Amino acid sequence: MSTPEVPEYAERLHRAATATREHLERSPVDRWEIFAKASYTREVEVTPARPLRVIDVEETGVAVRTLREGRMGFAAASGLEGDASRRAVESALATEVSFAGDPLPPQRLLGTTEVRSARILPPRGWATHVGEELARAVASLSDNHLRLRRTILQEGAFGWILATGDGWVARHEDTSTTLLAEVELVGERAGIWRDWLHIPEPESFDPEAAAARISDRALLTRSRVATDSGLRDLILHPEVSAQLLAAMAPLFLATPDTEDLLPPLLDNEGRLAAPSLTLVDDRSNSDAPITGPCDGEGLPARRTLLLDEGVPRHRLASFRDAERCGEVPRGGALRLSYRDYPATGIANLQVLTHGGVPAAELLGTADRALYLLRPLAPVSCRPETDSYRIVASGVWLDGRRVCGWHPVVELRGSLGRLLRRIEAVGTDLRWFQTERGCIGAPSLLIRRQSVVG
Amino acid sequence: MPEVLRPHPPLDPRWLQLLSERCADLRGGGARFEDLYIEQRLESRAVATNGELQVEECRTDGAAARWRSPSRVVLHARTGLSTAGLGELLGRHADRVALPPVRTLQTVEMDPPRGWLDWAREVTSRLGPAPSTVRFLSRRAAVVRVGEWAPVASPPIVRVERGGERPAALLAVWGQPRLGAWLQELAEPEPTKAWEPTPGMQLPVLFTCGTAGALMHELVGHLAESDLFVTGASPLAGLLGATVSTVGLEIVDDPTRIDLAGGFDYDDEGVGAAPIHLVRAGRLEGLLCDREGAEQLGTTPGRGRRAAWNRPPVARLSNLVIAAGKVPPEEIEADLEHGLVVTRVGGATVDPVSARTVLRVECGWEVRNGRRRRPLAPCELTGSVVEILAKIDSRIGADPTPDWRLGWCIKDGAPLPTGSEAPSLLVQRLEVL
Repeated sequence: MSTPEVPEYAERLHRAATATREHLERSPVDRWEIFAKASYTREVEVTPARPLRVIDVEETGVAVRTLREGRMGFAAASGLEGDASRRAVESALATEVSFAGDPLPPQRLLGTTEVRSARILPPRGWATHVGEELARAVASLSDNHLRLRRTILQEGAFGWILATGDGWVARHEDTSTTLLAEVELVGERAGIWRDWLHIPEPESFDPEAAAARISDRALLTRSRVATDSGLRDLILHPEVSAQLLAAMAPLFLATPDTEDLLPPLLDNEGRLAAPSLTLVDDRSNSDAPITGPCDGEGLPARRTLLLDEGVPRHRLASFRDAERCGEVPRGGALRLSYRDYPATGIANLQVLTHGGVPAAELLGTADRALYLLRPLAPVSCRPETDSYRIVASGVWLDGRRVCGWHPVVELRGSLGRLLRRIEAVGTDLRWFQTERGCIGAPSLLIRRQSVVG
Repeated sequence: MPEVLRPHPPLDPRWLQLLSERCADLRGGGARFEDLYIEQRLESRAVATNGELQVEECRTDGAAARWRSPSRVVLHARTGLSTAGLGELLGRHADRVALPPVRTLQTVEMDPPRGWLDWAREVTSRLGPAPSTVRFLSRRAAVVRVGEWAPVASPPIVRVERGGERPAALLAVWGQPRLGAWLQELAEPEPTKAWEPTPGMQLPVLFTCGTAGALMHELVGHLAESDLFVTGASPLAGLLGATVSTVGLEIVDDPTRIDLAGGFDYDDEGVGAAPIHLVRAGRLEGLLCDREGAEQLGTTPGRGRRAAWNRPPVARLSNLVIAAGKVPPEEIEADLEHGLVVTRVGGATVDPVSARTVLRVECGWEVRNGRRRRPLAPCELTGSVVEILAKIDSRIGADPTPDWRLGWCIKDGAPLPTGSEAPSLLVQRLEVL
């Protein structure tokens, strides 16, 4: 993390963890866990004809989980120095409530997976340069039909320490770079097209390719409005696929048998989706947005197979949820901030695309298909009634030719049937931040779905 | 209405005064010092899962300094409020920083109110077996500018979230007398045999139980925010001074209503709270501005709000209050031949560029010939902003009701508590999405 502009956190984290440990050792606790985190974020907003907006944030904090005589406590306090450790420990002891079992994983389960060393943040000025280059590339690519409204580049570096009272310690440092771009059609009130790009390697970032990616959908909507209905092939843009997966995500989290909504969705062969769909939560993928040697509780980072060619395999669970639901603990806890209790969650949910088809080919294989470009409302899935609903805007395709823009289209029906009709996945996987976590999704080709115009 | 809450500022007032005087000396590479914002927050959470309650507590503090030059606006923020920390923060931009050499008084720790945990325990048990979270959120802050400083106080709020198959949430000021009744509504079971309106259907919609607040929050509140006016992105941008709705419509954004979740006594740029008349007799009259927007638009500031110490202030709503009319809501409903009555809205958005809004209706009724016929299944309603405003019926309900269902308003990913109070309003036509 030690680039010229980024503060050096390792030593401060170590001192905070030591101070917290000393407080805990003087307290009447049976077991404990410390999590200390420091992060530095630089956000640069480039808006044509407006002053540059720069936000530099350094945030640090300590969290403590304690257990004594069947009572559990959790508290977090900001800062690494001064009172932070004392406040975290005292608050954790003050929040203790009776708790069945032990929420802290046993030491035998703890461990780390090797991860690559922290990347260097781009140099100062890079974000401004990228914003200006993108604006130029978007205008040129679209013959000035599109305008880049604004670009926000977020570059961050972070480090953390996780330590337990049994003497186990894990450390991690990394950086991340993301870009949010908004484009709009010049002179038309047709909405803003927003794209979020995860940039794993800033040094090889290509503004022309990024401009193509953030412009493609907006350009497709320049055709005449055309509505249609009936049974049609569907192609979901990666953003729509990601929202569908986000809506389905609770199906992949551990649940007690009595509340399990998955079995009624399975067909006679135990299949939830077509064989083309394989889903994993991959915490060992160093190019994915969430990285680290272990999960939020110290279990080694791993790839968890959730859906194997359409057949459910495993589910994500924190240690406590795994115990409660009779699952094998696989390291499914997530702790995005020191402020949050480590809970079951998605880190990097992604569709495996090794058997996929290039997106351009996918678009050409469908007959009179509806290509859904973006959701207009949250995608809803109700497993208890085996139903889904997508409200989106899209374009009608005839082969690869766009023959009309459908501004608002609604799809609803059986969730199981929708998933089992996924014929092909694209190779155009992209990462999205959703309310359920980071999701890596490609285009999906789904045959014969009912479309209401 | 509870007495206005004025917690102590996060730091010694005497020291803040000295600091504001010293800020006059701050210079930094051609940039002008704007302000220093300091904040402490407390969040207590009671999380219920499978009948077990877990309590979590999070205490955070931090500060942010803003600098402005013709070519850039910079915000530096960092955790901690120590004198050394603030000196380091200001020193990132300023040429020379010497903070007042006085011993500061230790401020008292913020704590949840007595009885909070018992109350949270009772709430989670009332919500049944579904996972639920009850949060108590409190903050105290101060804004330091050259030669002046202001304490920022806002009422502590509670947020109740029910998970499971039918997630829903409630946001209210702690101690709000109607909280018990709202919790009862939150716990109500979903109606059976609900009617699903056909997409594309266009119907008159009567917004009751305060839900018109959510509608106006999107149609008028957000679109009167100065950043959208400055860029011309708001569909209301050319309509200042024009009649946009029925002459009976009066809309005020009022942060002094501290019984509603968006209340405060100073905004996060240190401007004293005052109501702003947005719509008077159907005419668009006022705008919601932060200091920058007010300077650009030549109007008054007072709505610069920060999602947290590490975010810059932006123009945001506080509490949108729509004045009650004189017509009993039952009378308006009785005149509906075929329409919808909305009793609960679960979310709403507005896209300023396409000028369309989408409202997620959680509960309501189908009305035929003035009678409630079938409960409404959750659905979305949409329409063009300007058209919806123009189609508000001149009969305005005599039933001002605060809305508890919404509250966490999210703009550019930054959430803030807001409130609303509205009477029943009839929109003559909205489209089912």
